[in-house]
Amino acid sequence: MEKCDCKNKVMVPILIICVLLFTYVFPRFVLSNFDASSPWASYCYQYGFGLITFLIGMLLIFKTKAIKLGRGSETIWLAWLIGGFFLFAGGHAIWIYLALNTPVKA
Amino acid sequence: MEVQGLNLSMSALITVAAVLVVYFILIAWFGGFFTKFSKDVNDFFYSGQRFAWWLGAASMIATGIGSYSYLKYSQQGMETGLSSAMTYTNDWFIIPFFMFGWLPIIYFSRVKSIPEYFARRFNDTARYIALVIILAYMLFYIGYNLFTMGVALQGLLGISMYWSIPLVTLVLGGYVTFGGQTAVIFTDLAQGIMLYIAGGIAIIAGLVALGGIGEWWAWLPVTHRLPFVHLFNDYQFNTAELFWGEALAGSIAFTFMNQGFIMRYLALKSVNEGRKACIFNVLFTLPFSAIIVGAVGWIAKSLVIKQAAMGGMLEGINAIHIENYYHTFLIVAWECLKQNALVFGFVVAALSAALMSTVDTLINACAAIGIYDIYKPLIKKNASERHYLIAARWMSALIALGGLFLSFSFIGMKGSLMAIHYKGIMLIIPALVTTIFLGAFWRRFNTKAACISMVFGAVLTFVTEFSPFMTDLLIDPIANFVLGAGLLSKKYIYMRALFGMIVTALVGIIITLVTARESDEKTKGLTICTLEDAKKIYKGSDRLNETLGKKIGHLEVEFDQSLKEDEISVSNKTMEALKAVTEDMIYVEDHRWWLGGLRSLHTKAAQAHNKSDSIIMMNKKTWENGLFLDGKKLKIEKIF
Repeated sequence: MEKCDCKNKVMVPILIICVLLFTYVFPRFVLSNFDASSPWASYCYQYGFGLITFLIGMLLIFKTKAIKLGRGSETIWLAWLIGGFFLFAGGHAIWIYLALNTPVKA
Repeated sequence: MEVQGLNLSMSALITVAAVLVVYFILIAWFGGFFTKFSKDVNDFFYSGQRFAWWLGAASMIATGIGSYSYLKYSQQGMETGLSSAMTYTNDWFIIPFFMFGWLPIIYFSRVKSIPEYFARRFNDTARYIALVIILAYMLFYIGYNLFTMGVALQGLLGISMYWSIPLVTLVLGGYVTFGGQTAVIFTDLAQGIMLYIAGGIAIIAGLVALGGIGEWWAWLPVTHRLPFVHLFNDYQFNTAELFWGEALAGSIAFTFMNQGFIMRYLALKSVNEGRKACIFNVLFTLPFSAIIVGAVGWIAKSLVIKQAAMGGMLEGINAIHIENYYHTFLIVAWECLKQNALVFGFVVAALSAALMSTVDTLINACAAIGIYDIYKPLIKKNASERHYLIAARWMSALIALGGLFLSFSFIGMKGSLMAIHYKGIMLIIPALVTTIFLGAFWRRFNTKAACISMVFGAVLTFVTEFSPFMTDLLIDPIANFVLGAGLLSKKYIYMRALFGMIVTALVGIIITLVTARESDEKTKGLTICTLEDAKKIYKGSDRLNETLGKKIGHLEVEFDQSLKEDEISVSNKTMEALKAVTEDMIYVEDHRWWLGGLRSLHTKAAQAHNKSDSIIMMNKKTWENGLFLDGKKLKIEKIF
């Protein structure tokens, strides 16, 4: 049986510090580049923090061997997970682009 | 609360009411039909872990859309446009945690409820703290759904909520009490279809009135076309707070601790089927549901603007005036359907479908908790299955009654439905959500930490709601940290959930680190680090066979009484195609795919037989347990 590889005492504190730093710096970075009313500010905020959450999840399931490439249909599930993220992120980006760049009668 | 939205004529009222009554009778009859599939208490609550993913996923459509959804999201769609879909399209970030963490943990450990997980992972104290929070969450939802249905019926038909809510509860309580989870799944499947058809009718009618999709989009202001709202200017609906409160806390609560959804996953035939249902739900069902419940509001905005630009009413429909946006759905649907009472009655029946399908799941889920966490461990430990089945039915009736009384308490409340909903949910969920997360994903997280952090987190979150001083002192700094200093009003709805999660996590982590480590044996199979153990315990064997095999169909049954109960034997060739060996777990179902596993069971592979490849042998009792029918062929697949 393969043992879970999640007892790394250095990685977790470093990861926590990185996430806290990101949480502080990222919104300020977004606001320095976009007006808060811009849909791209909201987009960056959601998908910036969303990506961090998603990556933590992926890291956790890989380190604990909850998912393992080649076992059963888990490689396909991994493709779905990553594809789903990009589908939502891409879909929302196209949506904003169309909203801003198609003619309005109102 | 002012609820009158439409002034229907007497004949229209009678038609709408008649459609509703017929609908109620049909659903009660349909749900009652499935009573015979609940032979024991496990069937009653979990349908024996046997259904196909698509049945679970389809029934989740209706469960996820409450009676309040049409009203609330149409109102939001009218006010802020397509961004009303935000709460339906921000769940993907937590999916890895669920699909490969929480789902296999609860499935393989065969826990019946979230409190039971707490009992096994921690102790009985943790179980009962979790039980109080989870029941508060579920009863809140039951009462709230019944209340919103009462509001809608009062607005439409003028019936007092003190009459309409008990009537709706009686119908719901009836089929859930007798039918159990199988009835819930199948009625929700039917009601999900009903919801989509009725929502679709209202949307198409609106688009036709506008002149097509192109016209709808062209008349929609840019602000209403966007998928996101302003980052933080409106405390009731802003992107930043929605991410923390709804996308994280809310999504985790709905996915991880909503006993109703958990039971849907536990009713499926395997974890793999659960993953399929989960992917389908988040990737397709939720975005599509966002359109169904919100689109009438989006159309309403275009209609009102086009109408004003054209200087009056649009061709073919009356002028639309929406004074109270809460009634957007009903007013736009009524006018765009050209005041056709029969079709409108069908659309209103969809509102009832939304209510019933959400509340029936919650009633069944609460009853499961009542039986497995209160009645069985505390009142009657070793009774017969029949006794527990009767108790489960009484428990369902009791929970329906509890929801009914709670719904009355909402009647006198001030404020919008949206405010009441989120204020309640954001207060109740954070402590439990965090404890579930730490318990499942951090093996060292211990019993003392779980109990203390849950109580401390829940109490402190409640205190901030009633003390502006505490809000300034505790929530402001967190809001400033994650949003940027001085950018928000001092009113918080969603940020309170982030605060609750941080407090619970901090207390939990500190206590865990300063107290003694618990034995690894205690967490076996109950954390993400011990999933291999969980699978072995579930299978009852130390050997796991996860090689992918084929599904084999068109098998004819032959009885062999020398085989043990729940054991099957197939030919060597079939075993090879399945990639199975003796003692592997095999799922057997009726060959007709559209039954979705209604007639099926899990078995173990015995030694291969020497007969034809198209023969499956089993004990007569095994055949009876699978609810199989004479002359019907079977299909099998290896689980692992």
